[in-house]
Amino acid sequence: MNTIKTTQLVILLTIFIGFTSCSDDDSPPLLEVASESVTNLHAPQTGGQGQPVSGTFTKFNFATGQTTTSDTNWDIAFRGTSIIVNGGTTLGTTDEPNRTGNAAVYIANGTMASVTNVDTALFEQDSDTGYAISTGSGNSWYTYAGPPTHLITPTPGKILVFKTHNGLYAKVEILSYYKDAPANPDAYADETPYYTFNYVFQPNTGVTTF
Amino acid sequence: MILNKKYFCIYFSLFFLSYSVSQESINVLTDSTKTENLDEVIITATRTIRQLSSLPMPAQIISKKDIKRSNSIRLNDILNEQTGLITVPDFGGGEGIQLQGLDSQYTLIMVDGVPLVGRSAGTLDLSRITVGNIKQIEIVKGASSSLYGSDALGGVINIITETPKTGFKGDINYRIGTFNTNDLSTTINYKNKKLKAGIFLNRYISDGYDLNKNDDLNTVDPFKNYTINTKVTFDFSEATNLFIAGKYYTQNQDYNASSTLKGESAINEWNTHLKLSHAYSEKWSSYFEFYTTQYKAKDFLNDENGSRFSDSYYNQLLIRPEIRSTYKLNHANNFIGGLGFNHETLNRTGFMVQPEFNSPYVYLQYDGDLTEKLNLILGARFDSHNKYKSQFSPKAAIRYEINDKFAVKSSVGYGFKAPDFRQLYFNFTNATVGYTILGYNAVSTTIPELESQGEIANIVVPISEFEAELHPENSISINVGLDYKPSSAIKLELNLFRNHIDDLIDTRVIATKTNGQNVFSYYNVNQVYTQGLEFNATWKPVNQIKISGGYQLLFAKDETAEKAFKNGQVFARENPSSPSFQLKKQDYFGLYNRSRHMANLKLFYNIPQWDLDTNIRGTYRSKYGLFDANGNTYLDVYDDFVDGYAIIDFALNKTIYKNYQLGFGVDNLFNFTDTQNISNIAGRIIYGKLNIQF
Repeated sequence: MNTIKTTQLVILLTIFIGFTSCSDDDSPPLLEVASESVTNLHAPQTGGQGQPVSGTFTKFNFATGQTTTSDTNWDIAFRGTSIIVNGGTTLGTTDEPNRTGNAAVYIANGTMASVTNVDTALFEQDSDTGYAISTGSGNSWYTYAGPPTHLITPTPGKILVFKTHNGLYAKVEILSYYKDAPANPDAYADETPYYTFNYVFQPNTGVTTF
Repeated sequence: MILNKKYFCIYFSLFFLSYSVSQESINVLTDSTKTENLDEVIITATRTIRQLSSLPMPAQIISKKDIKRSNSIRLNDILNEQTGLITVPDFGGGEGIQLQGLDSQYTLIMVDGVPLVGRSAGTLDLSRITVGNIKQIEIVKGASSSLYGSDALGGVINIITETPKTGFKGDINYRIGTFNTNDLSTTINYKNKKLKAGIFLNRYISDGYDLNKNDDLNTVDPFKNYTINTKVTFDFSEATNLFIAGKYYTQNQDYNASSTLKGESAINEWNTHLKLSHAYSEKWSSYFEFYTTQYKAKDFLNDENGSRFSDSYYNQLLIRPEIRSTYKLNHANNFIGGLGFNHETLNRTGFMVQPEFNSPYVYLQYDGDLTEKLNLILGARFDSHNKYKSQFSPKAAIRYEINDKFAVKSSVGYGFKAPDFRQLYFNFTNATVGYTILGYNAVSTTIPELESQGEIANIVVPISEFEAELHPENSISINVGLDYKPSSAIKLELNLFRNHIDDLIDTRVIATKTNGQNVFSYYNVNQVYTQGLEFNATWKPVNQIKISGGYQLLFAKDETAEKAFKNGQVFARENPSSPSFQLKKQDYFGLYNRSRHMANLKLFYNIPQWDLDTNIRGTYRSKYGLFDANGNTYLDVYDDFVDGYAIIDFALNKTIYKNYQLGFGVDNLFNFTDTQNISNIAGRIIYGKLNIQF
């Protein structure tokens, strides 16, 4: 798993407006908002297709940009096509971690560039009746093509907006479910599940823009 | 409805504009002698015998001569060569017709004025119909529910069978071609002063074909079918006659679903058609008609051990008595009215009940020449129904002859298609994958059942939404045309069309199942339109040569989709693993399986001194999309498309000893196939033909 720091840095002028009440001299320096990408995050599952699902979730922390095995210090986690957040309650599947933080998610329609504001009213957490990110083709982030290609491709225009376990925000666009994110994946030849995604993490507390 | 009003306004202003323009030109014109050449007559457009050339609505006739010269054997062969028509294979393998960009379920298919049934998934498979005994094929475009009721939303195709000529006559036709396809038919006809009788037999067998050699399945499995047609007309007097016709069709085909699942499918179809016609006076005539038809299909699959894996059946029955009368007020004003009753039942695998449709109907039509140059048709029909909202279908059509060369015509009509049995009563769960499809009326009983069995995870659409009735799909169709005949050798026709469909029935997910699959049901949702123009030209430079060409421009779009694109709610990717971007309004391509451009060009050449008749026919359709390939559920310009293609057919027929005819031809001369996307184009077909008349 690689984390690539891209050179493109976004400094938000609008932040200043929020701090105009403070005296100019005392304002703490804002941390930079960066566009990052993750390739080949491996998130295998066993079972499925009618069988009970199991397997360890691969946890990810936005602040470090790394996967983690910590029980508490994670924001989101992947297993097969399921994505869970560290917030709410467990659905109770085998090997599913307990939620310890306050993470949440909603799915915005748009592009990485067009989703610039967090709408905190939309956040949902996992529950004992279902994940905040619904499973199933066309219900959340992916589309299953069915026969003959059987491809699982991320649905265009779906941006996952997360609240991290400790109340910061991130936006994610999933790009591929196949190893090395081939331009023309082949469900028979390319390995799954290997997530490749772009994300933007807002490291400043209370800032709801990217 | 606002939209409809808008288009109505445009439509009427257009018409009156052209009318007022034409009014002015009237004064300039001097009387000209009309050349009364033998004009083709058509019965479908008005249910009375009418000159094709004087009709106010877009209509077309395919003559027996052209069918024979093209050496067609099934209805889909010849329809595919007509402007704006294309046959499209459905997932069950049936080939249905697309007319003015509307699906095959919106075109009524009739034989001698009575409808064919047996649309297992909405498609009426045109390859069921042999063209061996056809006198002519009549095609009327635009909504025609004012005369024919349900299904005549896009148009009507009526197959007129041959009537016997005086004496004892017959013929034998045999064609053999690629894929071991054999078509053998014979007609025996007799006619005297009072009696006309005919019998027609056809046997059609083929080994089928396989476009994809890499799998275990054939594209078309071997089949054989037989058609028997009899027709008797008896004249009791000059004023009274009785017509009795019967047809039986049977087909057997191998049915292979995988390398291990093998079986057979069978279709049996019959109909009887009785008609008593009586003329009370010069003015009054009545027709008492009784029509019954039944379509039965069944298939089975056995697994490798020979034990039964699946069985399915489909058994549809239609009984229709109808009385209609014509009244000729004078030579310029005609009325026709009818009163009838449809009784329809369907017994089918996966149905929760054995449904019955009962639908009485009444219609009336006025056809009059207001002036010598102005023809007006006004008609309306009322269909009452026991299972859905009653329908009132009006139609108006008008034609104005500006002069001998120019005529403008226009028609506007309402068309509807009743929800079919499947959309109301289906209760089907896929045995291997596990999804469920429920008819609209089956939802309120089946969902609680599934719930009590613990199969429902989540209800997406509440059951209360299924308490109302499913509405019939309905459309307003508008046609505006211009006929131009610069000389007796050239004929040009232009027609602009627009069909606006409301309450289109679609499927949606209404619940999710605990097995991870979905429950689907039908609902009225979309507003869809198809619009475009059709252009036809015929040129006979000399008697031996006929050149004809046609072109259709088509825009077929879903208005909801158009809005989504306009509002920036639709996204796409360059490739499956690249970031999304927003699509613009012009990126929306339209409905699936619609080509923007379709064209045909035909050259018929007759060499009398050699008794030789030859022709070359080409058809073209531009690119089209079959499914959404980039995950946004819409067909946009970044999706995968089936490439446009052209098909060239060639035929040569020579007559020897007057009663014998030898034919040779190649269909699809350049062996075009698209094994991935087009299952009904088999590749090059070479054939020989023999015709004997006695």
